[in-house]
Amino acid sequence: MVGPEDAGTCSGRNPKLLPVPAPEPAGLDGKMIRATGGFGGGAGAVETPEEQEEEEEEEETPPPQQLLRRYLAETRGQLEPGLCYCPLPAGQPRVLPRSAAPHSDACPPDAGSKHRGAEAADARAARHGGMTNGDSGFLPGPDYRDLARAGGREPRHCRLRPEGPGDEGADGAGRPSDWAAPLEDPLRSCCLAAADAERPEDAGSGSGGSPASSGSGSEDLEQPGAGPGGPEEGASPVTSAERTSGGAGDESRLVFSDVHLNSRNTFEVSRHQSARDHLPSSGPPVPSPAAEQGPAGTSARARRSGGFADFFARNLFPKRTKELKSVVHSAPGWKLFGKVPPRENLQKTSKIIQQEYEARTGRTCKPPPQSSRRKNFEFEPLSTTALILEDRPSNLPAKSVEEALRHRQEYDEMVAEAKKREIKEAHKRKKIMKERFKQEENIASAMVIWINEILPNWEVMRSTRRVRELWWQGLPPSVRGKVWSLAVGNELNITPELYEIFLSRAKERWKSFSETNSENDVEGVSVADREASLELIKLDISRTFPSLYIFQKGGPYHDVLHSILGAYTCYRPDVGYVQGMSFIAAVLILNLEEADAFIAFANLLNKPCQLAFFRVDHSMMLRYFATFEVFFEENLSKLFLHFKSYSLTPDIYLIDWIFTLYSKSLPLDLACRVWDVFCRDGEEFLFRTGLGILRLYEDILLQMDFIHIAQFLTKLPEDITSEKLFTCIAAIQMQNSTKKWTQVFASVMKDIKEGDKNNSPALKS
Amino acid sequence: MRGADAAAISSPLRAQHPSLLSPCAWAYLASGCQAHDALVANLDQDRVALRPRPGAPISPPTAWAKETCRAPAMEAIWLYQFRLIVIGDSTVGKSCLIRRFTEGRFAQVSDPTVGVDFFSRLVEIEPGKRIKLQIWDTAGQERFRSITRAYYRNSVGGLLLFDITNRRSFQNVHEWLEETKVHVQPYQIVFVLVGHKCDLDTQRQVTRHEAEKLAAAYGMKYIETSARDAINVEKAFTDLTRDIYELVKRGDITIQEGWEGVKSGFVPNVVHSSEEVVKSERRCLC
Repeated sequence: MVGPEDAGTCSGRNPKLLPVPAPEPAGLDGKMIRATGGFGGGAGAVETPEEQEEEEEEEETPPPQQLLRRYLAETRGQLEPGLCYCPLPAGQPRVLPRSAAPHSDACPPDAGSKHRGAEAADARAARHGGMTNGDSGFLPGPDYRDLARAGGREPRHCRLRPEGPGDEGADGAGRPSDWAAPLEDPLRSCCLAAADAERPEDAGSGSGGSPASSGSGSEDLEQPGAGPGGPEEGASPVTSAERTSGGAGDESRLVFSDVHLNSRNTFEVSRHQSARDHLPSSGPPVPSPAAEQGPAGTSARARRSGGFADFFARNLFPKRTKELKSVVHSAPGWKLFGKVPPRENLQKTSKIIQQEYEARTGRTCKPPPQSSRRKNFEFEPLSTTALILEDRPSNLPAKSVEEALRHRQEYDEMVAEAKKREIKEAHKRKKIMKERFKQEENIASAMVIWINEILPNWEVMRSTRRVRELWWQGLPPSVRGKVWSLAVGNELNITPELYEIFLSRAKERWKSFSETNSENDVEGVSVADREASLELIKLDISRTFPSLYIFQKGGPYHDVLHSILGAYTCYRPDVGYVQGMSFIAAVLILNLEEADAFIAFANLLNKPCQLAFFRVDHSMMLRYFATFEVFFEENLSKLFLHFKSYSLTPDIYLIDWIFTLYSKSLPLDLACRVWDVFCRDGEEFLFRTGLGILRLYEDILLQMDFIHIAQFLTKLPEDITSEKLFTCIAAIQMQNSTKKWTQVFASVMKDIKEGDKNNSPALKS
Repeated sequence: MRGADAAAISSPLRAQHPSLLSPCAWAYLASGCQAHDALVANLDQDRVALRPRPGAPISPPTAWAKETCRAPAMEAIWLYQFRLIVIGDSTVGKSCLIRRFTEGRFAQVSDPTVGVDFFSRLVEIEPGKRIKLQIWDTAGQERFRSITRAYYRNSVGGLLLFDITNRRSFQNVHEWLEETKVHVQPYQIVFVLVGHKCDLDTQRQVTRHEAEKLAAAYGMKYIETSARDAINVEKAFTDLTRDIYELVKRGDITIQEGWEGVKSGFVPNVVHSSEEVVKSERRCLC
């Protein structure tokens, strides 16, 4: 779930990262615009000169890199789509999207390392030929070979590698880190951007890891959630391992990676995060080559690259950008593509044509007057660059001087315009980034408080004013599951053992179900119902948060979700499985361990409101709707009348909201925040949230008719932000003159009995 | 042609109620109708794209689709509004069928419907005669039936879906019909029986013959559709709309106060519809 905003900005920028005009005059065909079949169609397919350069570049490639490529190319077959999570802030965005792509898989880590290498080298004045000392940290060293020999132990290792050691090389091993200082800031923002792009759900709450933690630079940031030394999660094992690993030592690095893996289950944050990070990596369902390479970029990849894009866009390494860009382009993925014969031919053809033309006309096509363009380089929008021909193709008559001049002028104007826009956007982004950074800091400090002060004294502190206020701000993701568990409680006294028992029962049932499947037509209705329910669970699991790609068959949490829902139907046959439950279970799974998630799930569904809804207890639902309407009228009387005039009753939108606790209709991060306060305030808050939504969109809703309102409320806009919504929720008074929710709720029943005032059609039948 | 249409509609209005509409309302009428023209043109295109081609690839998503659902400015002028309800067992593909019809695309995975979802689309049954369809997409799970059956009453038409690859969903058709009969009183619903997922012919568990027989027994039409391959999706909805339209025209179904099944929309020279236009105009400003 990537915020549209992120996606938008990134996809806008991303292309700049990839193909760019060659920094150096790069061969004669540089001027030709060729259609590169299969590489990204349309305007995106326009190739620029660095292709040639890329080939030259390849020859220079140091052997270790080739090895890495080979290794990566080999291992990629073993990579599970969901498992290519890499906790690196900067590397991540680049790595992930491609990992899902069949062809260019090997490229990103390499490219990433080269980036760093280049930056570092450049910052250190002279770059003599190959690598400097410092560079070695960035480039895959011999350890890659070892790693490769060690087999595809864990694909993540290699993802980690190119960057991890490098950072430490500078930081940990105490090398002259003159470059590290300028790097720190961008890295940080990269991290933020990356984190953002990855898990915008966390945007508000963010990674616990935090800039505030030690300031020692990028490494801390690499592991969002590595708290500033919370007792529970502690200094994340990852971080510490990383630190110790220093610039050398394969072993320690392997340990580092393993620690990270193992810690995944005990370390809520990273788990939480990785859970989400699985998503988009396998997200684009096998992107076509065009999608990966096309400068136009796919949104998926663009989103991912947000971190890097921002990194460069901020113009921190202006001189280096072009070099970097070309490096990016020469990444080994291209080699894979290079095998495709038509492309080769095309290139030659164009070269030949050009040569022929030159021979014929007797004039050599000089490299286009690129100097003027170079000035604008960083802000040059790619599409423009690519579309404007410096000269016409050789087989067409040349432009007249005036025409050429005019074109040049128009072109310059366009570029200037675009540049202005880009600068403006960059400023805006920087501002947003700052805000986010601040937010992250808040969350980090909140987390410390939660872990150190509140959780150890839960019963005493939970209802204090201070805690309640902090709670309202949203729970830090790292303590979210814990707090939910505590707040929901365990009235039912379910133990993990009990869960295992019900789970094994459920498994038996599934087994017998699949065995008797063939002759079930003869059996009674109850059997059919049960089967329908089992079957339905199966079907619904893959329909739960389909965009996350983690609950689908083969996804990391498919079985867990199946188990919890199955165990619940055995535990509470009177309630059984009801559509909507899968969403609740899924949100819990994202924040809690399996058994804890089940305990919270069962207890949550045992709350009066949830029980009423999931059993479809009409009279109770009627009470809830009627109570809701009382507060609706009180808070938003105008809208209330508007709804009334269309006989639009609350059941139309509330059913979906309450059944799924908003997890289906609100963005996931926002839904989690609603859950936070729902855990604090109880059922009342669910209805308050509903009123908050109505308030937020009151003006729009007042302009709509029945069908539009119904459509709008059942599919809320995706760009709804937590600040706005929570401001609106806070403005909703849950005090009807002197009565509180519970009192109104109690009195409503009487009214209903006296006369059917409520006209919710759902309740009349 | 449609632009002319709109002009024809708006000019008598203007003549009769010159003060009724603000200048921007007129501006809207012009622009909005243009937008609508574009929409209809799109629709037509889409219909072409939707035409079943043997083994045809899934037609690409169309950008306009979301607009239609969300942007009230697109609201066009319609003769009647029919409320249709789509029912049938869980996972027979109700939401997918409606999505294909209203948004022109096929979603590989979609959320399970909880409660009820809403869709709308205009259908042009005769040149210049547009019907606005308000489609209620209901949750299929048995548990929700007690909620959704309350919505039958205010519907004029219904699509009763079963999955041709799932025999049980076909067996339940009878049950669905019995239930609607009870809950729709005193009104009636014009149903069409839809055998869905007909692209999966190899996995078929219900023959066309028996489905037709069942439909005939209940006086329904039968049609086989596929949301994935866009087979008969348009036809299922438009045929039903036509049938209802005929009944309305003949007076067998009448517009009644307090019943939402059929609503009268814009008829040229009927004043109240101008309200619609003004409203839309205000909306488009925000």
